[in-house]
Amino acid sequence: MAIQVSGITKQFGSFRALDAVDLEVRSGELLALLGPSGSGKTTLLRIMAGLEFADSGSLLLNGEEALSLTPRERQVGFVFQHYALFRHMTVFENVAFGMKVRPRGQRPTSTEIKRRVMELLELVQLAHFADRYPAQLSGGQRQRVALARALAIEPKVLLLDEPFGALDAKVRKELRRWLRKLHEDIHITSVFVTHDQEEALELADRVVVMSQGRIEQVGSPADVYDRPASAFVYEFLGQVNRFDCVVADGVARTANGALSIPADGTVRGPAIAYVRPHDLGLSPSAAGPGRVSGIHVVGPDARIEIDLAGLPLEAEMDRERLTALGLRLGDQCAVHIDRARVFPQP
Amino acid sequence: MVAATTSDAVLPNSGGTVLSVLRKPSVLPGFGLTLGFTLTYLSLIVLLPLAALALKAAGLGWSGFWDAVLTPRVLAAFKVSFGLSLAAAAINAVFGFIVAWVLVRYRFPGDRIVDALVDLPFALPTAVAGIALSALYAPNGWIGSLLMEWFGLRVAFTPLGIAIALTFIGLPFVVRTVQPILQDLPPEEEEAAAALGATRWQAFRRVVFPALLPALLTGFALAFARGVGEYGSVIFIAGNIPGLSEILPLLIVIKLEQYDYAGAAAVGVLMLMASFILLLALNLLQAWMRSRHAR
Repeated sequence: MAIQVSGITKQFGSFRALDAVDLEVRSGELLALLGPSGSGKTTLLRIMAGLEFADSGSLLLNGEEALSLTPRERQVGFVFQHYALFRHMTVFENVAFGMKVRPRGQRPTSTEIKRRVMELLELVQLAHFADRYPAQLSGGQRQRVALARALAIEPKVLLLDEPFGALDAKVRKELRRWLRKLHEDIHITSVFVTHDQEEALELADRVVVMSQGRIEQVGSPADVYDRPASAFVYEFLGQVNRFDCVVADGVARTANGALSIPADGTVRGPAIAYVRPHDLGLSPSAAGPGRVSGIHVVGPDARIEIDLAGLPLEAEMDRERLTALGLRLGDQCAVHIDRARVFPQP
Repeated sequence: MVAATTSDAVLPNSGGTVLSVLRKPSVLPGFGLTLGFTLTYLSLIVLLPLAALALKAAGLGWSGFWDAVLTPRVLAAFKVSFGLSLAAAAINAVFGFIVAWVLVRYRFPGDRIVDALVDLPFALPTAVAGIALSALYAPNGWIGSLLMEWFGLRVAFTPLGIAIALTFIGLPFVVRTVQPILQDLPPEEEEAAAALGATRWQAFRRVVFPALLPALLTGFALAFARGVGEYGSVIFIAGNIPGLSEILPLLIVIKLEQYDYAGAAAVGVLMLMASFILLLALNLLQAWMRSRHAR
């Protein structure tokens, strides 16, 4: 089912959480709403679910106006960051809840409910935990129960609010992969909120980057990473070196003159230049302007801190490359920029 | 305390005392000290007076005890005391729950004042409450006269009056036990219920209420216990007609005034046993409910 959001605005007191947001969620896609806290991503998701009320705008679910509908009528599955499982119910009862509360005429028989619940628990690989209480499960297991519970009502859309936010790194990765696979199997239109760019880029078909109640960019993960539409997107997605500079004749120069970066023709005057750490090349050179001020090796990667005439830079390369270069702490080096983006000073 | 320190000195492989068996390695210091203090304190404040009471009653002997207790007047008062305390606690469980709900869930002008009002039955001298209530509900009082006129209902000086007094003093117990639990109830569970298609009523009945039930039971038990022991407010409104509206605590006072100390102690022991059994049952019920969803 497709979702069409247009002109949705939401105000909390004097804080504008959403400012005339337009967005289209395509049928069957897995969409990420990515942004820092306070960017309005969760509010947008909750408005889609009917848990929050928009001040103005419209929301079409499958072409039908849905803002006036209750969550019950919208038939969306919602997964909460902190699971929100019913504490006094077993895993089985939690998953069965959505079917049991249906009006008498539409309620499946209890054998049918049992069959469906066990099927879903099979799907989330928790079939033999059916009689446990949520308190007896780990975080990852609880979130899988929450997912099974949301799927039990056969929702047309699955909305997930920071679904992995409360889990530790390893479980998060596993669950992420598992969710991607699940989506490939059942192809339900899904929207998930996250502040973790890695998660959004790895999991989603398309990523929506939000900031201060507005959408900054919508695009495929490769799109938003390689061609960020704004300085905010560039800075938010991944590590970045940022320089204040002035652009003249297609070249951006930093104030101390230590660095000049080729800029495209559209920008003039004061600007901000961004360079990703892996787009920063280093070569040992006794007369080079840079000095290695720190080396951190994390697994197969190396992060090198450079002091370029008072300007701190960060470069990233694999460990073998660093060994090949033979750079050590305190060495002088030359710095070249393979790729940069220059945005006008806001 | 002494027991705890000696248990420390016991050789590790000698089997140890009861305390060293109970004692598990823990970063929290002072197990021996605090347990010793707790036991000593409870003995002095609670067990000693109760033991004295039982001892006094024991002076009657086994058959003497039952003779003192199984008289029609005592049994009637027993029914009045326990029956009406349970009824009042039940009324409070319903309406106290609603009060707590309103205080937690809605903001309205004067909500702080209403919140403060709830505690008044705690603070008011019970005799004052009793006199005020009997003045209101007496056949010539404001409410009493209307009830008499419209329904021919007599409240003061009947068991109904006792129930009203016990409801009055028991209210804060239910409100104050349910309130914090309701306050801490995460809204997500209700939202989850709504997203899963539950109506407001279904969400309340299946999600909110079960989460509050243990607290509600505690409030019920406290209101009940308070009602059984209540004296001051009841004797003014009850009319104290033997066999009809006489409560056990009053009967004890009457026996004391007749210098029947052992008889008074026997009635006291009877109350103690009945209360203990009821409260224990309620506690076990609660423990069972909690064990089903530990934290």
